[in-house]
Amino acid sequence: MSNSGKPRAAFAPWDRRELPGLFSVEDSARRVGNYKWAEMRLFEALGGWVATVPELDVKLVLGRHAYHHAWHAELWHKRLPELREMNPDRLTLPPNDAFVAFMGAVREPEAADLTIEKLVGVYRVLIPRLIGVYTYHLNGTSTITDAPTIRSLKFALQDDFEDWRDGEMLLQSLIETPDEVERAARRQAELETLYLASGGIAGPGSLGESTDSQEVAVG
Amino acid sequence: MKKFLAENELARDERFVRTKIEDRIFDPRGARMATRNTGPAKMAVDRPSAGERSRSLMHGIFVGEIQALEGAGRTCYDFDDDSAPFQLKLDMARQCWDESRHCEISVKLGDHMGTEIGEYTESTFLFAAACNPDPVLRLCGVNRALEGLAIDVFNSMKDFGNESGDPVLEFCEDWMLADEVTHVKMGSDWLRRLTDNDPERKERALEFQRTVDAIFNLGGFRGEDDENPIQLARNFRRLAGFTEEENDSLAELARQSTEEAVKMAEMASAALDASARGGSN
Repeated sequence: MSNSGKPRAAFAPWDRRELPGLFSVEDSARRVGNYKWAEMRLFEALGGWVATVPELDVKLVLGRHAYHHAWHAELWHKRLPELREMNPDRLTLPPNDAFVAFMGAVREPEAADLTIEKLVGVYRVLIPRLIGVYTYHLNGTSTITDAPTIRSLKFALQDDFEDWRDGEMLLQSLIETPDEVERAARRQAELETLYLASGGIAGPGSLGESTDSQEVAVG
Repeated sequence: MKKFLAENELARDERFVRTKIEDRIFDPRGARMATRNTGPAKMAVDRPSAGERSRSLMHGIFVGEIQALEGAGRTCYDFDDDSAPFQLKLDMARQCWDESRHCEISVKLGDHMGTEIGEYTESTFLFAAACNPDPVLRLCGVNRALEGLAIDVFNSMKDFGNESGDPVLEFCEDWMLADEVTHVKMGSDWLRRLTDNDPERKERALEFQRTVDAIFNLGGFRGEDDENPIQLARNFRRLAGFTEEENDSLAELARQSTEEAVKMAEMASAALDASARGGSN
């Protein structure tokens, strides 16, 4: 029979979680508000594009992914009051005007023959950057105090990795000529330039380093 | 990308063939076919045309699911944060995923039943209901009228699968039926939440729903008699939140549509007879 009165440490030997983390409550709330804004603009665009793409497989994938990003937006919406922001709309904001311009450019293509442009914006530019900014937050925040955010980040990342793969494979199957390779590369470069000017989904410091110097260079 | 996409702008690949509803209604072959006594229109396994009818309906379900997906997607996009609540847009995104799965299921069932994409034509009047500029009217037209119709269609197809010994068809229709009940509930919920203090808007929304319902009762397509290919699924409708009064009202509307269709068929038949007699003189 085990000795139930024997003292044990609060943390098992293999539990290496640590205090503190990189983000204060306010920092974390601000970032979560930026995430929610970006996820909302993304799921709206994916939903809107469904009717504009003639390719049946792309149509169905966009329908599925629209829900993934809506759900991420909902996760962030629910997290905000837990981070002392009782009015979630107050922090549901883009980090700056440059990021608004970037998202506007991502959402701009409409015509039925612009599926490559639509998919490049989402799957070669925006989602890889969502993966980046979520991973940075996940690796930097306190694994004890900010555990609820970590749980949501992991759910979102799991979807994003799979969605990125779906979208990238669709692009690889749609790009069939050197001209289309050029179109995709041009679109990616245009959007990456705009993204760079914004500093990222959470603004300068999205990945933990100031991008002020890059903003000047791009501007 | 602009807000509010017209139904003629829906993107399709080259397999799809689009027709207008008026072309179908006024197709002169319709009157001639109506004169043939082919028995009750209700889909039944002992009818010689049952297989063909079920395949045609399956293709109709497939293109309907595409348009339902597109409509839910546009509702995510068309309205800004002030005109449609965040939670409503989340519901529509969820519906996108559901409709996307329904498209996948429909393609697989089409293969299973022996049809190909584009074998039958597509009318886009389902999407037209999803173009209303008021989100409440749009949800009433789509989530209450059209998704309500989907409950009736899936239940009829499920019964057909059961009666014809096709467990794959019965299984798939039952799963889709579960989703449609959820979608109708969403529509009823948002109607209540957004019009609680605005009875005039509520009445406009319900009127729009009745208009959409009437369109889909056209020609006796849906009802509770053997003359109706699609049977009103009262039990599932009740589960989805329709009141008995609403179900009775829809049944009455369906009866009127069926009677009108019969009269029109008789008139068309008489006109054809007269034309034939004139031609022989």
